Amino acid sequence: MDLELTEREFMYPGHVGCPGCGAAIAMRFVLKALGEKMMMVLPACCWSVIAGPYPSTTLKIPVIHSAFETGGAVASGVRAALDMKGDTDTTVVTWAGDGGTFDIGFQALSGAVERNEDFIYVCYDNEAYMNTGIQRSSSTPYGAWTTTTPGKDWKKMRKKNIVEALAAHRIPYAATASISHPEDLVRKVKRAQAVKGSRFLHIFASCPTGWKIPSEMAVKIARMAVQTNIFPLYEVEEGLHYTINYKPKRFPVREYFKIQGRFQHLKDEDLDVIQKMVDEDWELLLRKAGEHA
Amino acid sequence: MKQVLEGSQAVAEAVRLAGVQVVSAYPITPQTHIVEILSDYCATGKMNAKFLRVESEHSCMAALIGAQSAGVRTFTATSGQGLALMHELLHWASGARLPIVMAEVNRALAPGWNIWVDQTDTLAQRDTGWIQFYCEDSQEVIDTTLQAYKLAESVALPVMVVLDAFFLSHTYEPVDVPSQEEVDRFLPPYEARFELDTKNPCSFGPLVPPAVYMEMRHDMAAAMDTALATFPVIEDEFAALFGRRYGAVEAIACDDAEIVFVTSGTITSTARLVLENLRGRGEKLGIAKIKLFRPFPVDEVRKALKGAKKIAVIDRNFSFGASGIFAQEIRAALCNAPDHAPVFGYIAGIGGRDVTPEVLEEIYWKTKHNALPERESVWIGLQEVSHGS
Amino acid sequence: MAEKAQARAESESPIHIMPRSTLSTEANKTGSWRYLRPRYEEKTAPCSAACPAGEDIGKIEMLTAQGLFKEAWETILRENPLPGICGRVCFHPCEGACNRGEFDDPIAIHSLERFLADTAERYDLKPLLERLPGRPEKVAIAGAGPAGLAAAWFLTQLGYACDVFEASPEAGGILRWGIPLYRLPLAALQREIAQVEAQGVRIHTGRPVTPDFLNDLETSYHAVYLACGHGRTTALRVSGEESDGVGDGLKFLEKVRNGETPDVKGVSAVIGGGNTAVDVARSIVRLGGEALILYRRRRQDMPAFGDEVQMALDEGVKLQELVAPERIGKDGSRTLVTLRHMRIAGEEGGRGRIEPDGDRTSRIVVDRLFKATGAEAAEGWHNPPASKEALALSHCVLSLRNGRPALAWGGDLANGIKSVAHAIASGKQAAIALDTLFREGPDSILPRLESCTVGNGPSLSMEIHMGGERRLRNRHVVAYGEINTDYFRYAPRMTQPRLVRQERARSFAEIDLRVSGNIAMREAERCFNCGLCNQCDNCHLFCPDMSVIHDQSAQGRHIDYDYCKGCGLCVVECPRNAMTLEEEIR
Repeated sequence: MDLELTEREFMYPGHVGCPGCGAAIAMRFVLKALGEKMMMVLPACCWSVIAGPYPSTTLKIPVIHSAFETGGAVASGVRAALDMKGDTDTTVVTWAGDGGTFDIGFQALSGAVERNEDFIYVCYDNEAYMNTGIQRSSSTPYGAWTTTTPGKDWKKMRKKNIVEALAAHRIPYAATASISHPEDLVRKVKRAQAVKGSRFLHIFASCPTGWKIPSEMAVKIARMAVQTNIFPLYEVEEGLHYTINYKPKRFPVREYFKIQGRFQHLKDEDLDVIQKMVDEDWELLLRKAGEHA
Repeated sequence: MKQVLEGSQAVAEAVRLAGVQVVSAYPITPQTHIVEILSDYCATGKMNAKFLRVESEHSCMAALIGAQSAGVRTFTATSGQGLALMHELLHWASGARLPIVMAEVNRALAPGWNIWVDQTDTLAQRDTGWIQFYCEDSQEVIDTTLQAYKLAESVALPVMVVLDAFFLSHTYEPVDVPSQEEVDRFLPPYEARFELDTKNPCSFGPLVPPAVYMEMRHDMAAAMDTALATFPVIEDEFAALFGRRYGAVEAIACDDAEIVFVTSGTITSTARLVLENLRGRGEKLGIAKIKLFRPFPVDEVRKALKGAKKIAVIDRNFSFGASGIFAQEIRAALCNAPDHAPVFGYIAGIGGRDVTPEVLEEIYWKTKHNALPERESVWIGLQEVSHGS
Repeated sequence: MAEKAQARAESESPIHIMPRSTLSTEANKTGSWRYLRPRYEEKTAPCSAACPAGEDIGKIEMLTAQGLFKEAWETILRENPLPGICGRVCFHPCEGACNRGEFDDPIAIHSLERFLADTAERYDLKPLLERLPGRPEKVAIAGAGPAGLAAAWFLTQLGYACDVFEASPEAGGILRWGIPLYRLPLAALQREIAQVEAQGVRIHTGRPVTPDFLNDLETSYHAVYLACGHGRTTALRVSGEESDGVGDGLKFLEKVRNGETPDVKGVSAVIGGGNTAVDVARSIVRLGGEALILYRRRRQDMPAFGDEVQMALDEGVKLQELVAPERIGKDGSRTLVTLRHMRIAGEEGGRGRIEPDGDRTSRIVVDRLFKATGAEAAEGWHNPPASKEALALSHCVLSLRNGRPALAWGGDLANGIKSVAHAIASGKQAAIALDTLFREGPDSILPRLESCTVGNGPSLSMEIHMGGERRLRNRHVVAYGEINTDYFRYAPRMTQPRLVRQERARSFAEIDLRVSGNIAMREAERCFNCGLCNQCDNCHLFCPDMSVIHDQSAQGRHIDYDYCKGCGLCVVECPRNAMTLEEEIR
């Protein structure tokens, strides 16, 4: 794969991400795609820990850790300050997990993109509060076990469609991406960097620990999510123009669910329900992209 | 130049003169005039600043944390509920050692909805690591705001400039507004001592283990102590340029006073009137006006209250289950001082109720006629209420 | 400026410690977390294990895909001196073993081999191959067929002087006399024979090896390799087979290759189901006759290449299955053949087991009949001894007589399967065995051969013997399930361009046409390169711990075990199984 990425690394080894951490892979790709002229706002998430305890940092870029719900707001402030200092070519990036994006940070994110703040908001999505011990978030998919959706109380609500929520704000650029598709991911990061205003990247970043899969499967499982249409790759410009970047063969979702410990309790009929949801979402996306199934 | 300004305008003028670069605020009564004026200044170019119209006070403080970390001078204003919402980030701002300055217009907390003055909102934030100044009039507001930047940047801690809702925020008074040149001499343009910098990348606010967290908190405690020592120096500089000085504690006629009122905010002005009146009648009243609440000026308080036979603390706030918060602080400041006078705690003017000269006289006579306090806190002016619950 | 800084310093109280990180996390050696350890370990592609010559096919296709045609061609030559010939006549078992076959279609390895040889010819490339320093021992080789040529080639690479003695006036053996021109044009053969000679091999034609001559050779050579092939058609053992209407298929082909045009008017029956039978039948058609193949089993049981059978049928050759000649007689000037009908009575060894179909017989009258049921050594003494002193290897028999030069039998004389590729395998095995004998003595031969196998054998690698990089590969043969097919897209297999049927049946012009470099590269790109690293860099790209470090080594990268947590992602995301994850031993 030739991603035309710099040989330079913007992360030091020695970070404390779990073996096979999808979020670490996502970070590495994004940093390499963006380069050194960037600053990162890091609201509470797995990466608050991965980034390293005082006095060390695994990131070779300026980072400001921030409160859980403040990703959109802190970035707004950083951007404003840079603008006042006449620095318009440094990219401000918020790097948040799904909890900090879908849930507690949603208001600040909504506020920031409504103001069309000039920054890139990246949500690396591992579908639960992993850092705190695998609690459900509004990004946790239907059917998942978490420590707060245990036993028969497995999550019976759909995953919030965050990109649609962002698209509804009519932001200049919103896209999904996956660590399993680096070419697509890197292209989208670079594209986002070139756009002015609020940009949102939703990166699917598997979590071997929380999903209960072997660490070596981290990328494979993310790829399966794309191949099954569970996590379609697409981008939305101005909230209006949809482009589907990858049209998979639509493998049945079953395989994806069968190999993850967090879904082990699901019965065949549950998987049928999920398959229906996935198909429904895909049809909807096709319609938005003007491509009737 | 003398202008007739309301307290809110005085704040805005100080912010303009301080060369603030990023302002962020969320509208909440009664702070609104401040941000309306600043919005206008930013829009018309009277100020070279960016105004971030955020969607909540929480985001407001978050945005300022971001902006100040990126190396600019910042400002916000809020009140009551807004400050309560900011609470988490007040800790963040001080822990990150960011010299953010905020104007806080004291407003009572709901329920029920009450937009009038009450100090409980700011006093509830006393443990957040912010320096707190309580102002008496518009001149003090403008002067204190300018001093606040100097002090905040000197000790790397944020500062709250507190003013009473309506009695100060919406009251017009003649104010001497200094010129830009004068202010520049006092407060040079902001230079961050640390900032987000692509040429010197480092990570702000990382995970901090027990091995060093305590040391970081101790350094903040030390900075608070330094602030106590630095404030008089800054006042000296200010006085040399502008001829005005306030003091962390202003002791008014305390030398021969038998009873000393401890006041803060606009109640002090009323107390000054009462003092004049009672002194005319031979009553030996003094006033200790507390301007600096955090860090708490223990030595100056002790000094001001040294000769008093009785101390009457007037609190427009209340800590439920305890007492008026200033009273608590005064008692704590005195408890290890030898032979200190008894402290009478009075609760008055809660939720915007007027604290008239009559109220203060009542407090004076109650204090005079009791050898010792009847209770920890005496609520003044409570009425029999029966609305058929 | 300094003044200003000082003024600032005075007005500021210092911050002694605050939550700000300025050091790297490198002090945290996360390698200590690891309980699984990834490492680079190339493995064996199934095609190369299935190739009797043990060609490094995965690497050949990798180089071809990159347009490095010369390097690809040289990679073949390390294991097989005759790519232009094998690219035309090999039965290519590699393709049957190709993992891509389970994905869509196998790689057209056969066509690509031919392409590379064509490219070498077109640009008159000269191979740059490693050659070991000269050795004092000399080896004589009887027979300049594929086995003899291969033995000479490899022994020369190993530093030995070789003389090849060929009975015929020209070198090539079965390739020269037994394979029709439409399958193997003379120029292709001659070019590769010349290439063998260019390595320093001396070929002496018109020098049949007789028992006396063999004795002579033993006085001046340290070893003799007998590879005179199977030149005589096996007898049918039916009455009347000696009558004048009955011809020898191999002889017929030889005549045709000699430029003669035998009379084939009318109908010719050909007995047999192998390539010789099909070649004879198709030659007859080209000479204007009609051909009928009589085979005792079914079409699917024929040892001839399926493709060749299909083309023969397309060209008008008739096939009668499940008949065996029982008696040959005369019907006037024509030949009467009595056929015993057979039937299938189960399966054995992957093909039908036959038995007589009761008493059913039939009779046909043809103008002539060719025997093409198999071949054997022209002289009885050509065959290797069955004695215990002889060392019987997979592709040759070795006789190590005290104080006398070693004698080796190879090629068709010693091979179970008689194919060009097996002949080359024999030559290679003999070369490795003799080299080991000369250098280390007889006891080292078997262990050495064992260490040179490709996969589980019996294919051997000269590169391994010569200490090349291939020796570092794990013998494990990569299975389809071990390929990460996510990195491959379905792509149709290339079609080998051919002369149209009408054109084919009229001439001996070569049927398979050349393919372009673009087509070859596209086809080679389809290759999974099973078990081999093609520097795709996935391991580096996906490493969450920056622990795959680029370097200047041949591998191009290494794993930094100070930080590698052993997540195993690199191993799973390696499309080709060129990495291994194993338990960490501390």
